[in-house]
Amino acid sequence: MSGDDAILDVSGLWVGYPSYGAATTHAVRGIDLRVAPGELIGLVGESGSGKTTLARAIMGLVPPPGVIERGTVLFAGRDLSRADDEARRGVLGRELAMVIPNPRAELNPVIPVGRQIANVAFYHLNVKRAEADCIAMDMLRAVRIPDPERRFHAYPHELSGGMAQRVVIAIALVCSPKLVISDDATSGLDVTVQAQVLDLLRTLVRDKGAATLFITRDIAITAHFCTRIGVIFAGQIVEMAETSSFFARPHHPYSIMLLAAFSHNPALRARWTRSADSSAPVSAVGCAFAARCVRRQDRCLSEAPHLRALHPNHAVRCHFPVERAA
Amino acid sequence: MTAMLDVQNLVKLFPLSGTGKVVQAVNDVSFSIDRGETLSLVGESGSGKTTVGRCVLGLIDSTKGEIWFDGKRMGRGRDIRSRDLRGRIQLVFQEPAESLDPRIQVGETLAEPLRYLGMNRPDRDRRVTEVARHLGLPTRALDQYPNELSAGLQQRVGIGRAIVTKPELVILDEPTSALDPTARAEIVDLLARLQGELGTAYLLITHDLSTVRFVSHRVAVMYLGTIVEEASAERLFARPLHPYSVGLLASVLLPDPDITRVSAIRLEGEIPSPIDLPPGCPLAGRCPFADDRCKRERPPAIAVTPGHFVRCFHTDKVAAVDQTIDQFARFQEESARLLSVGAG
Repeated sequence: MSGDDAILDVSGLWVGYPSYGAATTHAVRGIDLRVAPGELIGLVGESGSGKTTLARAIMGLVPPPGVIERGTVLFAGRDLSRADDEARRGVLGRELAMVIPNPRAELNPVIPVGRQIANVAFYHLNVKRAEADCIAMDMLRAVRIPDPERRFHAYPHELSGGMAQRVVIAIALVCSPKLVISDDATSGLDVTVQAQVLDLLRTLVRDKGAATLFITRDIAITAHFCTRIGVIFAGQIVEMAETSSFFARPHHPYSIMLLAAFSHNPALRARWTRSADSSAPVSAVGCAFAARCVRRQDRCLSEAPHLRALHPNHAVRCHFPVERAA
Repeated sequence: MTAMLDVQNLVKLFPLSGTGKVVQAVNDVSFSIDRGETLSLVGESGSGKTTVGRCVLGLIDSTKGEIWFDGKRMGRGRDIRSRDLRGRIQLVFQEPAESLDPRIQVGETLAEPLRYLGMNRPDRDRRVTEVARHLGLPTRALDQYPNELSAGLQQRVGIGRAIVTKPELVILDEPTSALDPTARAEIVDLLARLQGELGTAYLLITHDLSTVRFVSHRVAVMYLGTIVEEASAERLFARPLHPYSVGLLASVLLPDPDITRVSAIRLEGEIPSPIDLPPGCPLAGRCPFADDRCKRERPPAIAVTPGHFVRCFHTDKVAAVDQTIDQFARFQEESARLLSVGAG
């Protein structure tokens, strides 16, 4: 894939949160990420890994005092972080949409949900109110909300969590965006509802031809949902691969540690977990994962690894990636 | 033979004031737990599993039914605060940060339950040090405040506060669902190790099925206030016979694109409101096999094999369409094969 046809092109992105009297905390430390049109790409990381800051930076909405220190984010060829509010408002919700967790907390509690969908269509699609209402009703049907005529007038608190999440998906997709960012969108849902919402999201983004950046802390979802997976640790992508390649041959010790955490096999986990030694010599110049890495060697402390391709479509940021027979 | 905890025909109704309606949170639930055993109650939000836990603790009074602990009946006036039960049944909460007092140091938090047992200070200190070692908690942490600890360490403190009194039963209400996968795995390992060392019985209330698979002896699946299926963990995950259990297992995703539970049963819709439930099977509205009888008549708990109970009229149809595969065990095997090479 060349950079020209990417819908999203993040290169060399650094985002820092300065704090008084202390060093700046960098939540994103040099991320490169390209998303092709229609692609379903997953980003996996634990809390504090910088995945949400990355999502905010892509939209040009890094919360203060955070600043983009270096690098560029190009969405459909435009840099939203340097666009003015007016220009950004024309893109967000229209071409670039976001699906957020906690839908009942994020929806406006005093506006009926159908109206909230219609408002997005009204502002972005240059249609009349009545037409926007029709579009909203179609979206309620598309997200398979039972009894849409009645639910159009329901308030968020009258809906279950799963139903509210469907409304949020409807809001995100009503303008047929080019890219949907989903930030832990299914984390609060029960498993059967999560399965339904994921199926729905997959079907809709395919129908609308949207690319999806699926940010989550649950690596299991990405295995079944995404075509490409990036693992993010301490603000860096440490492994990036096509899904089948990633799960057949994970190379980065952190990726393997994450997978081992799901295995419920204490011996296996112990093999991949370095007991937390507080004296771990973590240096600013070395690998960010060195303190927790079971394969750490001297070089890891003195020299930061670069993301490099081990095979086509499989890149790893590690001096000593795990190799095994294919 | 008497079990340590025996719950018989538990019913809990919450009347909705002013409407004449009733929330049927728990609807005729029976189960028992032996010493040193783990029983998991699994189900979705609204299935009534937390209410069961609170009834067992005596934090709320049940509407009907009996709860027996160690041969004596629990009930009005006799709960975990009673003198003879104090410290013998304990609770671990879901949100570690919110369940710890932010202004009390960890060591004091761990010692507090012992104060109410009348233990003197030197004994308390000794016991707290001992528990910290059990927990793998650094000694330094005892002088710290909860907000100085990671979520995983905070949950260790929550568990420590429960086991410090050497309880016979610990009720774990979603102990891992607020944690990242690696922290979750550590807590699960810790719980299993503590059970081995101390012989504590657990009532594990959760919707995290992969944890349930590997820490439970027995599993009870709850739906709308009813236990619809109960079996040993191995049996339930390999051969679920209630359509709801099958749908639940088929919805779980594991981090391997090749492992899924192929099943003709997909649960559509969501768990309905537990207000004024209709008669009949609680799943009738979502079940592909439901017929008139299911809507009319509540299926009794039938033992299909010893120790495996199902409340369903159509177990034969379920058995015919669901594959016999324990996807959790398979993932564990696969991951052992895949990940066992290359460690440092």
